[in-house]
Amino acid sequence: MTAPYQSAVRELLFKMADDNLIMGHRNSEWVGLGPILEEDIALNSIAQDQTGYAWRLYQMLHQMQEADPDSLGFLRQPREYKCCHLVEYPIVDNGIGEYDFTLARHFFFDHAQLLRWDLLRTSSFEPLAQLAAKAMGEVRYHVFHANVWLKNLLEGNEESRQRMTEALMRTFPLALGIFEPGPHEAVLNNEKIFAGEDMLKSQWLDRVTAFLHSLDVELPDVTSVEPVYGGRYGYHSDHFDNLIAEMGEVLRAYPDAQAW
Amino acid sequence: MYGTIHITEEEYGHFAEMLRQEDPEKLAEFEARIERGEKIEPDDWMPRLYRKQVLRMIEQHAHSEIIGALPEGTWITRAPGFRRKMALMAKVQDEIGHAQLLYSAAETLGKTREEMINDLLSGQSKYSNVFNYPAKTWADVTVIGFLVDAGAIINQVTNSKGSYGPYVRALERICYEEAFHLKQGHDAFVALATGTPAQRAMLQDALNRWWRPLMHFFGPPDELSKHTKVLTKWKVKMATNDEMRQWFLDQYVPKIWELDLTLPDPNLRKDPETGKWEYSDPDWNEFFRVINGDGPLNKERLAVRRWAEEHGRWIREALAKPDKTYVTPFA
Amino acid sequence: MKVVSLDPRVARLEFREEHWHHQRPLRKGEQWPTYEVFQMKKRGTQAVHVGIVHAPSPEIALAFAKEQYTRRGTTVRLWVVPSDQIYSTAPEDEVIFATTPEKIHREPFAYKVKEKIERYKKIRKA
Repeated sequence: MTAPYQSAVRELLFKMADDNLIMGHRNSEWVGLGPILEEDIALNSIAQDQTGYAWRLYQMLHQMQEADPDSLGFLRQPREYKCCHLVEYPIVDNGIGEYDFTLARHFFFDHAQLLRWDLLRTSSFEPLAQLAAKAMGEVRYHVFHANVWLKNLLEGNEESRQRMTEALMRTFPLALGIFEPGPHEAVLNNEKIFAGEDMLKSQWLDRVTAFLHSLDVELPDVTSVEPVYGGRYGYHSDHFDNLIAEMGEVLRAYPDAQAW
Repeated sequence: MYGTIHITEEEYGHFAEMLRQEDPEKLAEFEARIERGEKIEPDDWMPRLYRKQVLRMIEQHAHSEIIGALPEGTWITRAPGFRRKMALMAKVQDEIGHAQLLYSAAETLGKTREEMINDLLSGQSKYSNVFNYPAKTWADVTVIGFLVDAGAIINQVTNSKGSYGPYVRALERICYEEAFHLKQGHDAFVALATGTPAQRAMLQDALNRWWRPLMHFFGPPDELSKHTKVLTKWKVKMATNDEMRQWFLDQYVPKIWELDLTLPDPNLRKDPETGKWEYSDPDWNEFFRVINGDGPLNKERLAVRRWAEEHGRWIREALAKPDKTYVTPFA
Repeated sequence: MKVVSLDPRVARLEFREEHWHHQRPLRKGEQWPTYEVFQMKKRGTQAVHVGIVHAPSPEIALAFAKEQYTRRGTTVRLWVVPSDQIYSTAPEDEVIFATTPEKIHREPFAYKVKEKIERYKKIRKA
């Protein structure tokens, strides 16, 4: 692997790992607080899958001479993470909503993940292609779960339709932040590592728009929306510092510990 | 076919009068079935007392699982590293799954999940006392994961030999999953015990704080509890509180001591002649205070559950199906 | 009102007076009706009843069944059936099945073929 190839792979791995780690972390916050027992169990599985992908991706980075997965995941400084703002928002007290926000985020995020893994199945970076083949089955279920919830709630009663529609509208700019182009887009594309954020965004827009249209929900024209960017360059939302402090709390308190 | 049985105060205690109201032939057939080792299924005839006691037992167990998810669930966002984070997420997921299985088993006896949740949230139904205490540090998570789960397993394995079909089926599934809980709990516990002095100190402190709640775990001593022969005869209660406590001490105190950890009871020892464990009286007044609402976290635990039910209401109501009939589950 | 709690998640929740008392009980049907779940673990084997889920619709029931009953081991198919669509024999009908073990004419062990062959061979020898 040439140096530019490696840099491009690194960038991609970090942003995917960070997205999945933080998304899994936020989803896990619903444990014991879910709207009904069975759904509490369901969201937990999704959180585990996402945390699992993060772990695998950090392991790939470790193979490329980065630090060990626990250090990468739990002990970097906030500015070193490359996740998008969408995944950072807390489950409550976030200015958008609660389970309605979580479902809207889940819908947007997992549709993007499914398409991303699909594009990565033919990646020239072998470890990613292999992981993509595995992840597709699981994320297919994440998307099924999100679609089923959205359909049921948008067709539920007036309140659920209104809440979900509003949550989708207000989450949309955050969701667009998934596709913030990074510094290595050209190399990723030319070296056939990954087809790029623009391609991904285009496929994603087609899919989510079509699904929502079938339920009489029209997203605003994407050109009229200001996407929430910054995450891919280490600039995070106001919520992020607290999240990172909490996540690394125990590890940081015992710096000499060799094992847990 | 089975004739009738003679109901004496000696055999049935203060339930004798209530049982004389039941159909004597059916009662005899019911008892013969249990004695043969056969299970009672939901649509079988059963004395009202059996239905009431079994329902209360399963319901309390279900409530314990859902509340029990909270002290450990709180540490998921702070778990030290991927392995522990994933394990804890899976473990707490299982606990909520166990609550679902147990509510389902309890529903077969004719009480709805709405009614059971209402009784939990109004304070009318009880749950295991041990969850009214706070998990202050990561070490608390390992103590709960190892020793509280160990206690739960003893309870569950014992009760899985009971007479009520749906409860037995739920417990078999639960026991299978608990094997993972105990292993990963013990693993995390030993990691701290064999770690740095700071990790060991954190663990020892947690042990010191959790020992009394653990001694309370199996309930009051036999002489204080209203032990009724009939519950044993009907295979509702499969062992006494003290019996289970002895099994727990016998299996797990050595595992604590082998790591050179101490327990805050200078009188704790196994009598080499009788084989029985001796211990200081663990303050049963505290037990009764806490189970009646005056523990460190009773109010918070229920407030959190009420928050969850309230904030999920819009979803449950949006999709409620008033025209669909709810039927009591068959199995 | 934010609660001072050792649990950072709980500290982030907004509590109101009503959370300290159970003021609005769950209504009948609020936990949704139930579906019976059947799981086929391996191709070529039977789909077996494993329990119930509470769900508002068949697709949500399938999702919930996947979560609750297939966290471990293998699964190839999962079925859900609304509980009110299950028909059962009554407990009194258990007697119908009582004499089935006696119907040995349906069992291979009721046919003593070897004995007949031995007898024939003995006679033919003589």
